[in-house]
Formats: sequence, structure tokens, C-alpha cells
Amino acid sequence: MRGISKMFPGVIANDRIDFSVERGTIHALVGENGAGKSTLMRILYGLYRPDEGEIFIEGKKAAIRNPQDAIRLGIGMVHQEFQLVPSLTVAENIVLGNEPLKSIWVDRKAEKESIIKLSKRFGLHVEQDLPIREVPVGVQQRVEILKLLYRKAQLLILDEPTAVLTPQEVDGLFDVLKRLVTEGHTIIFITHKLGEVMDICDKATVLRHGKLIGTVNVADSSSTELARMMVGEEVLRPSEERHPASKEAKLILDDISARGDRGLFALKHISFKVNAGEVVGIAGVEGNGQSELVEVLSGLREYEGMITLASVDLKTESIRFRRENGMAIIPESRKTQGLNLLGKVSENLIVNKYYQKPYSAKTGVLSWKRITEFAKELIVKYDIRADGPDAVAGTLSGGNAQKIILARELSSKPVALIAAHPTRGLDIAATQFVHHEILHMRAENVAVLIISADLDELITLSDRILVLFEGRIVGEVDARTVTHAQLGLLMAGLTDAVS
Amino acid sequence: MGAIMMTLSGKNAMEAYRVLFGSALGSKTAIANTLLASTPLIFAGLGAAIAFRAGVFNVGVEGSIYIGAFTSAWVGFTFVNLPGYFLVPLALLAAAITGGLWCYFPGVLKARLDVDEIVSTIMLNYVAVLFTSYLVNYPFRLPGLANAMSAEVAPQARLARLSPPSQMNISFLIAVAAAIILAFVVKHMRLGFELRTVGDNPLFARWSGMPVPKVIESVMFISGLFGGLAGAGQALGVNYRFIAGFSPGYAFTGIAIALLARNSPIGTLIAALLFGILRSGSSTMEIFTDVPRDLITVLEATVIFFAALEFSFGWLKRRRRGSAH
Amino acid sequence: MEALTNVLFGTLRVSTPLLLAGMAVLLSQQINMLNIAIEGLMLAGAFSAVVVGAFLGNVWLGLLASMLFAMLFTLIFALFVIDLKANLIVAGLALNILAGGLLAYLLVVWFNTRGVYSPGTLDKLPLITIPIIDQIPFLGAVFSGHGVLTYVSWLSVIFTSLLLYRTPLGTHMRAVGEHKEAAETAGIPVRRVQYTALLIGGAMAGLAGAQLAIGDLTLFSENMTNGRGFIAMAAVFFGAARPGLTALGCLLFGLFDALQIRLQIGTGIPPQLPQMLPYLIVVGTLTMIAVRRKLKGTSI
Repeated sequence: MRGISKMFPGVIANDRIDFSVERGTIHALVGENGAGKSTLMRILYGLYRPDEGEIFIEGKKAAIRNPQDAIRLGIGMVHQEFQLVPSLTVAENIVLGNEPLKSIWVDRKAEKESIIKLSKRFGLHVEQDLPIREVPVGVQQRVEILKLLYRKAQLLILDEPTAVLTPQEVDGLFDVLKRLVTEGHTIIFITHKLGEVMDICDKATVLRHGKLIGTVNVADSSSTELARMMVGEEVLRPSEERHPASKEAKLILDDISARGDRGLFALKHISFKVNAGEVVGIAGVEGNGQSELVEVLSGLREYEGMITLASVDLKTESIRFRRENGMAIIPESRKTQGLNLLGKVSENLIVNKYYQKPYSAKTGVLSWKRITEFAKELIVKYDIRADGPDAVAGTLSGGNAQKIILARELSSKPVALIAAHPTRGLDIAATQFVHHEILHMRAENVAVLIISADLDELITLSDRILVLFEGRIVGEVDARTVTHAQLGLLMAGLTDAVS
Repeated sequence: MGAIMMTLSGKNAMEAYRVLFGSALGSKTAIANTLLASTPLIFAGLGAAIAFRAGVFNVGVEGSIYIGAFTSAWVGFTFVNLPGYFLVPLALLAAAITGGLWCYFPGVLKARLDVDEIVSTIMLNYVAVLFTSYLVNYPFRLPGLANAMSAEVAPQARLARLSPPSQMNISFLIAVAAAIILAFVVKHMRLGFELRTVGDNPLFARWSGMPVPKVIESVMFISGLFGGLAGAGQALGVNYRFIAGFSPGYAFTGIAIALLARNSPIGTLIAALLFGILRSGSSTMEIFTDVPRDLITVLEATVIFFAALEFSFGWLKRRRRGSAH
Repeated sequence: MEALTNVLFGTLRVSTPLLLAGMAVLLSQQINMLNIAIEGLMLAGAFSAVVVGAFLGNVWLGLLASMLFAMLFTLIFALFVIDLKANLIVAGLALNILAGGLLAYLLVVWFNTRGVYSPGTLDKLPLITIPIIDQIPFLGAVFSGHGVLTYVSWLSVIFTSLLLYRTPLGTHMRAVGEHKEAAETAGIPVRRVQYTALLIGGAMAGLAGAQLAIGDLTLFSENMTNGRGFIAMAAVFFGAARPGLTALGCLLFGLFDALQIRLQIGTGIPPQLPQMLPYLIVVGTLTMIAVRRKLKGTSI
């Protein structure tokens, strides 16, 4: 791939990237979230068209307009979200769309034989007759790989293939990958786990913020070097002196475990405290339990263990109770969780208070006068640029939309603030505003928990940083002294590297 | 569409429409009859509109119409010794409550267990039709009558006529009042704010701590309540008894009306009046121009088809996303 | 004994339109486009079977017309829901209302009659005597001597089952219905699969209507489907959209129907009560499934 660029509104996802892979190798594509790895591979697989650049396969220029073209050229991709039909059997999924025929019927015998042949050759054992929904995730992944091999793919792109696997399954996958390579296949391995890169990859290409940082021979490199390439150089430390956090724990998580949507544990025995006037950051690559953590705290997900907010056990308490008792939440998705884009600004500002006096009378009648006054006050205080309180929230810019959420959550005098990716997608000015408000909360003795994928943000704001990896806290570091490289290694699951 | 069909079948479209509107609005009695025809459509439309506004696809108002109609008739022919000023409100109240409960149950199933309300309410519609038919065929059978109907309600239970000789009665005024009240509730009451938020973005409603299941249940109750009143209006104001299978699908026309009005209560009122004109004018049109009145049904269907388009780009998509959680 | 054979014979007779309509709904459900328009499609089939059959003086051509006409209606539905992305339920309701209104309109315009059209010149579809089974005492009385569409309805179950589980097209239908994206990435022509499933269903719905109009009787009446489409839909939910179980549901609901006639005469049990059962069973089944899902579920 030569000179590939792809822009999305407001972002350059790929900026003139050159990328080449040799036949018969495992090539890692490494970078943080949003580094542009997936975009690049989606271009190669025909899901996106590049704005610039060309793709060559074995020296010949290739036009890849859609996945079908890619498949014809021998390129296959296993997505992070498996593209399997749950109630169809393993075999049906493998041959889907290319069923062997015997007159008008599906030739089950030929189907079976060709799958057995493939699975013997590559060591990919599957129970053919089980429906997909009854086989474990590791096997589903094997099915995805078999699907590609059945379609005669030579180049396999695996997008974060180990994210959903148990350690044993990862070992199994690696055996398969090695076998595929010895059979002449080529593998592009998208990952952020440097340990895995060191283990099985021949080469590694690192992307950061849509730019190519470099390609290295894994044998000649080290995980420290890769981590530095991945997360970049240091930023300036905040110079301002902070008053020390109090010793009074406001938010206590004690041995919290919770299942994710797939039914597996997404959080495993997590314990930590956030003191009043302290900012605790949660670092980690996305998908390691962050969303579940926020949902557990806000009351949207069941959990085992105990959460206490200002000495109140939250276990059986409703979302509303939590909010009334001082839990403020900036959810990770502004558009679906944080705002009603079809509602007015004032409605979005009042949504956690509308049922209380003076906004609502005993009779259930709302006082729009009071609500509008309240909204106007907040609009001024938080500098929300909108055509007044009646403007529809969906018409505001991202920064101003986030300010609505900030205004709503921070104006309710919280005891604890949970902020998930509070500056994602915001411009510099809006980001600074959000940071300033969060530090202001700290000064007001609020216990603040920040979940972010942006290490600079975490280092700037936090007192302590906890690193979440595969649902566990794998490290705690002092934000004043930690380096990017240290965090990068922890986030990649290399706990030994940091002492 | 209607004009095309008439022309295709060799009728004079302009003439037919002239007669249609003339007979619907041509005289005081004609206007009264049009309002009479609109009444159940207003109620049914409001029932659909409030549910849709909250993102709940309640198809079960038809069932509530039957349940409400029977309950009101039962009150009307049972407590014959009560004075009218007491009996009529009692009968209406009973219809509203039973009609409301009829939709409340699938509402609970939806809110607490995520049972698809579309399927459950379609099924319960048939249960309501059959159950009320059973009631007037067996326990409340009127001997000596071929048709399945209940006894006549007490004279003082009849809804007062507003413009005799037309049967148009106070239930029309109640319907108009209901539309205005509902508009107020949606805009100015706590529940209204909640149901709009749930309808716009259920995930957000949950995150902000709104009692989403309770809102859905309340909305379903209110939706059924309007169905109950629609039924009572027909039983106490037109038929003076419960007749098995009396509704020509008011609730389905109500769905069309709500869609056309984009779930606004006042819009629903206006759209229902429009459909009332078509309905009441179509019989006369048939007599004078031999254009069958069923043409109006075809027109209605066309409106719904296009409403279905409008609809798919609007809140239903969001609703899917929300409930897919 | 005679009572039993009568009930069973009756069950098979009244199950015929249910089976055909049930398979039609089943196919639509398999591609995740529940066909609420089933009532309207059946009505269209019934209408065209009588009208075309009487006009051409040939009941078989009537049968053919029922399929074609119902498929034409299906095409409208499919166009709206597949290509114009109209809401499934609303479009289905609209088609039901359209069919009701249009057919009533045509009755008046063409035959100057309201509600019922009975040409009088048309023969019923023939009854079929199955050679050997006919001679077996009990079986013969139950299984032989039905109208031709009864046997077709049984074949439709086998057909649907083979289609879904033995042919590529069927696999594609199931894939499209369950995980459209996965089907797309596997290179399946999703749109074509959806149209095909709906149109095959449309033809079956037409036959279901034909059974009512020229199988049982030789007339068309405005409300002759009388909720049978929704009973068939109930059977699909009861049978979790699997052909065998759905057919079982249709037969069960057919049995209720056949029984209620006898019960009414024999024991005075009101017919409405067994008639309500299919609908109640469906609500009960869905609730049970939901409770189980809830008990298994993780997030609140």
C-alpha cells in the first residue's frame, strides 16, 4: 500500500501511509485507539475507498472497490465483531454464500469433507454440526479463519484477534497462525498488545494519530521501543501546584466483578478508592472493561461486590437514587447516553432535576418558567453557545453539546464525578474548558474518576492513574512521575516491565 | 389516488368529491354527523399518538375499544336505578379504566420483560373481540335476538345529544377535551416530558435516571384508556348497547391518523376530523354518484402507506437502536 | 369413534389455510420481515380465485390467479418495506386495509354487490381420494377425501422445510434474517433473497385464500379470512418459526377450531373460548421466553 490517505469529517484517519507486507510473514500493525490501524485495513479490504494512494499486490496495481474484490484477490479479514450467523451451524457459516451444490441441494457431504480437509491442514479443529451460538468465542474465531481459507484467502487480516480470547485460546490461535505462515499464507495482525507482537510477529508497523511512525523487525526491537513509538513523546507536566487530596474516601469499590454483554466477566475483582478532592485516572486500551465500569457505577449494570458513595451502599439503589446522592456522570457517548439530541437545550439541562421543586409542582405540572430561567443561568455560566434554552440540542457543536452535559452534571453539587472520555472529539478550546471544569471540581473536594484513552489527558488531570487490562487493575502509578512508556507497557499487559 | 381509481372505473371524480364534501359539511345535521363519525377516530388517534410518542408501538387500542364498550354498556344496563348524572360518568370511568388496563398488561410485559408489544397487542385484540362476543352470546345474551348484542342501556345512561336529530353527543366534546388535555400533559406535565424523552432516546432516559419502565406502563394505560372511551362513546352514544364486532377497525384508522399528525394531540384532532368528513360523506357519495364508499378505505390505506415511509426515517429507527441494547 | 374421525377430518380441513398462511408468515419471519399483511394477501387470493375462476369458467385458473394476485400485492408490500424502507408493521396494516377496501370497491364496481360475491357457476376444487389409505378404516376417513389444497398445504410444510434447511437459498434466507451484515459480507444478494422469500410466501398466502373461497365454498365474502392470517401468525410464534413446530401449531389451532364446533353442539361450551386460545397461548409463550431470557440475562 503506498501513500494511502483517508479523511473523515474533521479527522485525518490515514495520512500518506506506506505499508507493505512480505508473503509468509506475520506482520503486526500496532497503535493506540484511533491511530488509524482499522481504517487502513478497511481500505485494504475494500470497505472504505482511500482518498489518495494505491494498492499493489505482488507488484500489480489492484483496484479494490468492495470486499468481494478483496476476496477475489485473496484478501480476507476477521473483524473484531464476528460476522457469523448464530443459529446456523459451524459448517453452514463456513460455506455461507459459496455452498457446494448437488443439483439444487446443498451438498452436505462435500461441505463436510472440504472443511475437514482444511481443518486438518491448518490444525483448526471445529465441531461442524453445532450452531455457532453454542460454541465458545475461540472456536467462533476459528470458524472465521476457516471461512477465509475456504474462500482461498492468502492474506489474512486479523483485527485485535486476542481481545476476546482466554489465554489458552490465545496460545491455540498462535499455533494456528504459525502453521498458516508455514503453509505460505500471510497475516496482518492488528493489535495493541506488545507482548503478542514480541511473541509471534516478524515485523511491526506502528501508527500514531493517522501517521506512519515506522516499521521495525521485531527481532531487532524491544517492547520498550515499540511502546515509545506507540504513545509518543512526553508532554509538559502541569506546573501548577495542587493542594493535596484529602484522606476521606468518597467513592469506594470493593471487589467488583461484572459481566459484559457477551456474558463473560468484563470486570474482575476490582477494588479502589477515590478520595475527596482527588482525581483518579483510569488508563487502558478500550474494551478492557471501561464501559462496564461506568455502567456499574451509574447503576445500569449488575455487579458483584460493593460500591459505596459517601458511605452509602449503592447495591440496590436506582440510577436516580445514585444521582440524587451526589453521583455525576459524563457518559462516554455524548449523542446516545449523554443527550437527547431531539430535545431542547433546557430539557437536556433539567433532565436530572425536572421532577423536583421548584421545577415541578406536586400536581406534576412542570414550571417551564423556572426551567428556562435555570437553563439560561447555566448557559451563561458554562458559556454554552446556543440560540437560547429552546434550541434543539442536536444543532449544537460537539463542544457546546458536551458543555450541556457538564453544566447539568456539575451544577448538581456532586460528591463524585465519573467522566468517561470527557474530551473525545472536542477541539482544543473545548478540551481546555472541560479540563478546567474538572480541576475546578477537584478544588471543590469532589472525588473525580476519569476514564480516558488519551494519556496526556490522564497525566494532566490525575493524581493517580490506575491501568485497566482485561478487566483487572494491573497497575497503579503516580501521575506526577509516570512516563508514557510505562503506561504504554501496562496498557499492553506487560506488568512485569514496570516495577 | 382516489381520483385515479374512480377515473379508471369510469366515474366522475370531481363530481364524487363534490358530493362527498357537500354531504359531509352541507348542513347542520351533516356537520353533526361528521363530528359523530370523527369521535371514535379522535380517541383512537390519541391512543395511538401517545404510545407512539413514547416509542411504544401499541396496536392494541382496538382491544381496549371492545373492552371499554362492553364495560360501559354493562354499567349502563346493570345500574339502571342510578340517576343519569351519576350513571354516565360511572360508565365512562369504568370504560376508561378497563380499556386502560387492557393495554397496561402488554405494557408491563414490554417494560419489565421486553416482550414485543406489537405481537402481544395484535394477539390481545383478537382476545378482546372474542371475549366480548362470548359475553354477549352467553352470560349477557339477550333472548330472542338473532344478533349478538347486550341489553339496551338505561335511557339515562345514553349520552346527551348535542344537535338532534343527529346522534352526535357529548362524547365528541369529551374527545376534543381529551385532545387538549393530552396536549397539555405532553407539553407541560412531568409524565409528558418523560414520555417524550423515552420516545426520543430511551437509552438517554435510562442514563439520566428516568423510571423508564414506569413511563412505558403509564403510557400504555393512557393509550388503552382512550380506546376504552372510544368504545364507550359508541356503546352509550350511538348503539345504546354493546354489539359484538361493532368496530370497523377504528384503532387502525387511529394509527393512520396519529402517523399523519406526527403524534401531536391537536394534529390528531384535526386529522381525525378530516377522516370523519371522508367517512360520513362517503355513504352519501355512494348513493348519489355510485362511487362505492370503500374508495375511502383505499384512500386511507394509501395515506398509511406513505405514513409508513415517513415513519421509518423518524423515531422508529432510534427506538430499534434503543431496545437493541 | 365417528365423532373422533369427524373432528380429526375437520381439523385437517380447517388447518389447510392455516398451514399455507403459516408457512407464508414463517418465511417472512425467517428473513426478519414479519408479514402482518397476511390477512390482506389471503383476502386477495380468495377474491381472485373466485372472480377469475368464474370469469374463465375454470377453477384451476382461479387457483393460479389467486397465487399471482397475492404475489402482486406482496410485491407492493415488498417494495415498500425492502426498497423504500417503510416501517414493516405500518406497511402491513396498510396493505390489509388496502386489500379490504379495494376488493370491496371492486365487488361493487364489477358485480354491483356488497360484501359477498357468489357466482354460482363455479365448481369447487375437486376432492381427492387417496387409493390405498382410503381402504383403511380409520385412516381413510381422516386422511382421504380432502380438497386438493389440503394435500398441497402438507406439501407446503415439506417444501418450506426443504427450502430452508437443504438449499443454499434457504440458508441465505436464514442468514439474512438473523444477521444481515454477516450475510452481506459473505456476498449474499440480500435484497434478492428478501424479495424471493416474501414472494414465495405471497403465493402460499394466495393459496390459503383460495382454499377458503374455492376449496371450502365457492364464494367470496369481505371478511372471509376472519383473523385466520393472525392465527397462522400465532402458530409461527408458537412454533418459533420452525416449519415442523409451526405446522404443529396450525394443526393444534385447527383442532381447537374443529372442536369448538362440536363442543358447542355437544356440551354447550361457548365457541369463543377455544377460539381465544391460540392468541392467549402466543402471549403466554412469548412471556415465558422473555422470563427465561431475563433469568439468564446480565445487564439490568
